[in-house]
Amino acid sequence: MDYQTPLRDMRFLINDVLDFDGHYEAIESDASRELVDTILEQCARFAENELFPLRASGDKTGCSWNDGVVTTPAGFAEAYATYVQGGWPSIAGNPAFGGQGLPRSISLWVEEIMASANMAWTMYGSLSRAAINAIDSHGSDDLKATFLPSLISGEWTGTMCLTEPHCGSDVGLLNTRAEPHADGSYRISGTKIFISSGDHDLADNIVHLVLARLPDSPAGTKGISLFVVPKLLDGALNGVVCGAIEDKMGIHGNATCTLHFEDSCGYLVGHANDGMRCMFTMMNEARILVGTQGVCLMELGYQVSLQYATERLQMRSASGPKSPDRPADPILVHPDVRRMLLTQKAFLEGGRVMTYFAAQLSDIAHRGSGDDRASAERLLDLMTPIVKGFVTETAFEAVNHALQIHGGHGFIRETGVEQLVRDARITLIYEGTTQIQALDLLGRKVVMNQGKALMSFIEMIRAEADLQSGGPFASALRELADQWGELALGLGGKATGDVDEIGAASVDFLMYSGYATMAYFWARIARVASAREDDAFMRGKVKTAQFFFDRILPRANAHHRAALSGADSLMDVSASEFGHH
Amino acid sequence: MLPYMPPGNDIEFVLYDLFDAETEWAQIPAFDSFDRDTVRAIVTECGKLARDVMAPLSQSSDEEGAHWNDGVVTAPEGFKDAYAALAAGGWLGVSGNPEFGGQGLPKMLTASLEEMFWGANTNLWLYATLTVGAAICVDAHADEDTRRLYLPKFYSGEWTGAMALTEAHAGTDLGLIRTRATPRSDGHYSITGTKIFITSGEHDLVKNIVHLVLAKVPDAPAGSRGISLFLVPKYIPGDDGLLGERNGFESASIEHKMGIKGSATSVINYGDAIGYLIGEPNQGLACMFTMMNYERLSVGIQGLGLAERAYQMSSSYAKERVQGRVPEGSRVANTDADAIVGHPDVRRMLLTQRAYNEGGRAFSMYVGLQLDRAKYAPIEAVREKASGFVDLLTPVAKAFITDRGLECTLLGQQVFGGHGYIREWGVEQLVRDVRIAQIYEGANGIQALDLVLRKVLRDGGATVGELIDDIRQTEVPERYTAAMDEALNAWQEVTRWLCDSAPSDSNLPGAASVDYLDVTGHVLYAWMWARMAGVSGSTDKRYVADYYFAKLLPRYYSLVASIRGGSASLMEPSSDWF
Ligand SMILES: Cc1cc2nc3c(=O)[nH]c(=O)nc-3n(C[C@H](O)[C@H](O)[C@H](O)COP(=O)(O)OP(=O)(O)OC[C@H]3O[C@@H](n4cnc5c(N)ncnc54)[C@H](O)[C@@H]3O)c2cc1C
Ligand SMILES: Cc1cc2nc3c(=O)[nH]c(=O)nc-3n(C[C@H](O)[C@H](O)[C@H](O)COP(=O)(O)OP(=O)(O)OC[C@H]3O[C@@H](n4cnc5c(N)ncnc54)[C@H](O)[C@@H]3O)c2cc1C
Repeated sequence: MDYQTPLRDMRFLINDVLDFDGHYEAIESDASRELVDTILEQCARFAENELFPLRASGDKTGCSWNDGVVTTPAGFAEAYATYVQGGWPSIAGNPAFGGQGLPRSISLWVEEIMASANMAWTMYGSLSRAAINAIDSHGSDDLKATFLPSLISGEWTGTMCLTEPHCGSDVGLLNTRAEPHADGSYRISGTKIFISSGDHDLADNIVHLVLARLPDSPAGTKGISLFVVPKLLDGALNGVVCGAIEDKMGIHGNATCTLHFEDSCGYLVGHANDGMRCMFTMMNEARILVGTQGVCLMELGYQVSLQYATERLQMRSASGPKSPDRPADPILVHPDVRRMLLTQKAFLEGGRVMTYFAAQLSDIAHRGSGDDRASAERLLDLMTPIVKGFVTETAFEAVNHALQIHGGHGFIRETGVEQLVRDARITLIYEGTTQIQALDLLGRKVVMNQGKALMSFIEMIRAEADLQSGGPFASALRELADQWGELALGLGGKATGDVDEIGAASVDFLMYSGYATMAYFWARIARVASAREDDAFMRGKVKTAQFFFDRILPRANAHHRAALSGADSLMDVSASEFGHH
Repeated sequence: MLPYMPPGNDIEFVLYDLFDAETEWAQIPAFDSFDRDTVRAIVTECGKLARDVMAPLSQSSDEEGAHWNDGVVTAPEGFKDAYAALAAGGWLGVSGNPEFGGQGLPKMLTASLEEMFWGANTNLWLYATLTVGAAICVDAHADEDTRRLYLPKFYSGEWTGAMALTEAHAGTDLGLIRTRATPRSDGHYSITGTKIFITSGEHDLVKNIVHLVLAKVPDAPAGSRGISLFLVPKYIPGDDGLLGERNGFESASIEHKMGIKGSATSVINYGDAIGYLIGEPNQGLACMFTMMNYERLSVGIQGLGLAERAYQMSSSYAKERVQGRVPEGSRVANTDADAIVGHPDVRRMLLTQRAYNEGGRAFSMYVGLQLDRAKYAPIEAVREKASGFVDLLTPVAKAFITDRGLECTLLGQQVFGGHGYIREWGVEQLVRDVRIAQIYEGANGIQALDLVLRKVLRDGGATVGELIDDIRQTEVPERYTAAMDEALNAWQEVTRWLCDSAPSDSNLPGAASVDYLDVTGHVLYAWMWARMAGVSGSTDKRYVADYYFAKLLPRYYSLVASIRGGSASLMEPSSDWF
């Protein structure tokens, strides 16, 4: 199996479609095109040479646990040391604590390049970035000075500890306790489960960001506070015990830990009972990152299945032999194999541009000012559940196509594609399941917000349609703009009459919104690319856009119908009637 | 883990209320002894075996996998005894020819038994299912002596069967195979070559394993017209059935796979192994086809069995797991959170599974019914019509049910949230075990191509038209007639459009095939649901039918639109552009 970083596509989207040059100027960053190019190229080399070779072996060996000590697969620690030496962890870090102060968008691309080569390995560093953001945005100066330099340099890694055995989606149920201590710190006790990178042998120390409850705090999510709890405190163990690691369907190379906090010393981040808000700083970025993981897996899936489709000879083309001198034609000639390839390409490159767009909004939300900043924040809020929910759902479909193109060989572990399916499956679950993203989108980001953010995005679609007036996609875009707005309005209206409507329509609405968003971006890509007909890469973009509108976008209609069909058929059934025969 | 729950009541509902098995079987002499009590006893016993003997070994077999050591393959722990129990109960001969010790049960019934076997333990049932297929093939094409020697051993479970078609460079395109059959002086053949992916090609459950091998005789025509079928036993039996010499083949290795880890998938090397020709030379593929209709339906049912298991596990989890507040009004007082079964979206996931599973059960048994009619109906016209429906519906049963099988096991997994990703809970295994069903017995893309090219275009849509007429003549409850009509019209129109457009676009069939198969499946399930709601006295079926019509049937709109999107957007890019 080979893997090559898709630098051409990344640059095309960065420079030609989303104009990051202009964007960086607007947010007053001195990131230049040359700098970005150098970073991407060097990172690509690192990922291809150091990380990709550990992808399959890491899956095969997995992590091991022995009496509280977690060992990562062979080679992971060495690769991590190279990563730290190369300065990769610090790209977007705060310069006051040793970071390079570059926009977050660049660190997302670095993440993408590495996770395409090895997702399980990359996760050890990903969670650090979330921890850094939370401490940097909400921590006291002391906390920042204590934790940020080592986290930003990568010498230490971070985690996010929300989930407990009885609470996942509903964080408000959590039981972990924090008792105030005389010196101003807290003593944390409780059990967290499913903590990614919760223990490992890559770094000197692990910094846990833990949600817990103070004594007498209000019930539910209003009584949750955020604490930073290091594994080692001044070099001594701090009562954080890894009780077990999970045996999982995929991402075997990343340790998913049960962590017991036994009177561990922790420090409050932000205000008491304000933990959820602080956590969301981490979570929003992490959600975009999970969307990116979907893109990464699709990229590798597309590359290997395309390669396989050009090499595997099986049956003749329906329109006459294409390789008459060989015993059969490459399966790439068959329409249905093309359908599977083009579907991957459409979701992959469409998903990629959606994550880059979110990264651009996130840059503005962090560095811009005034109205720009406020509207970027609103749009990012809207885009986040779409990127997390829709990109991962379509990514899962795409990697299954990659497997299917390999026929029976796809089912065999050594071929390496079935790992993509197993790895991709988690992206639909963690950081909030697809269902939770869907509720967030329709409930919070559309209905509660009276559709403001959605309307501003719909305006972008209309503007694109105007730009393309008379072109092949203009009328479809206009229809989408009308239909999407009406659908949101219709569901909002129904929701006031029946509280179940939001939940009943949510996933169909999320999928509809995803297809609509992707249609907008494919149209935009086609507009840019159609100016450069002489180039196969550009022609390919136009053709993929056409394929998307012909063959994929019609799916939006079915979601539209299902979303509007109401809650009754779901809610009439009583709990006991869900029983068996 | 939750015990497997055999869906016996629903099976009887489908048999008697939906398809009126009593009247149906009364017309067929071979079946007139199967009264209700007998059938109930069979379904109940089968369910017990599935629940008590097979299901408990499913998860452990996934953990342990099959073993290979220097050519010797060992099945996971417990399989040997469980297989012996299957054999002792006569379960391998249920659909066998009574002349040779089979029980000759109707396929409509055995389809439902298979669902329980697959659902309880796909890994174990794989050792058996190929025996059933091999027996069908031998019964249909082998000479009298061979049938007398082999069939009783298959039906009793003493020997198992294997199908050896695939080679490293030839899967879909069997015309490319290289395995050779050279005539020997004794009139038999000597088989040499390497087959890959051979399920149960080698194992330790029984004493003898009988391979059905596709190979080429000297001077055979190129391609699929030059393939012959051979019976190649591991130990060569005497006429008395006693085992003699070891034949010349062995397992060179077994595969490490995504799922069905308990089933041994072997690379088999044949080195001058003795093979007995079945049927005429160069007619091997045709011989295989007899059994293919049964095997493809069976693999479809694999998808159903695993999806049913996912529903059982996830519906039970959803009632126990408390998380979040359900919308006001339905809350339970004095609790912090509600069972997730109250969340509309969790219901969507459960109802989707339920709708596709019970729809799939009815549909697979309907195809079984058509197989029975095609074989046994006293009136020739009835046989012919049913045989046309079998050909039309087999690829749909294989691909649509297994595609839905993946969808439903994924939904079942999703209901478990993060726990669904952890092996211990057992639900992610269902996803890994069902994934293969979309690939073997002809990848689902190939099923779709078969449907469109051979079953629809070849007769200009006549068989589809005949089926649509049948559907229009069945009575369905008023509340579904409008939607049913609309769906049938759409199916009919898009069929006509395909038939009209295909002659001028050779790529169109392949471009439309998967979407077309999906449309077909969705409309047929709508028919099943409307009828089930009509004949059932309980609200259960009505709920699910309502849900199916509101939320799932609408999928055909977008599929039809995508079909009409044509082939240009697929075929325009040159091959090196990709
Ligand atoms: C490999 C792995 C790594 C993980 N890493 C981390 C980590 O690093 N840190 C961390 O804190 N957690 C982590 N998690 C936990 C993960 O985020 C949770 O599993 C996830 O949020 C879902 O919670 P749950 O498993 O409790 O499912 P539940 O919340 O029990 O959900 C079960 C089902 O009910 C649905 N549901 C729940 N509430 C509603 C509602 N109101 N409306 C509609 N549907 C609803 C869900 O969508 C889901 O389908 C990880 C999990 C795994 C498997
Ligand atoms: C676990 C396992 C068990 C198996 N058990 C057995 C067994 O017991 N006996 C046995 O003989 N075989 C067995 N097989 C093999 C299986 O039947 C084949 O893998 C399957 O038929 C597909 O063939 P292939 O793998 O060569 O894929 P290919 O034929 O190479 O197909 C690759 C892809 O190309 C597509 N494709 C090919 N031709 C066309 C076309 N003309 N138009 C459109 N699309 C096309 C296919 O749909 C597929 O997606 C098993 C395989 C596995 C993995």
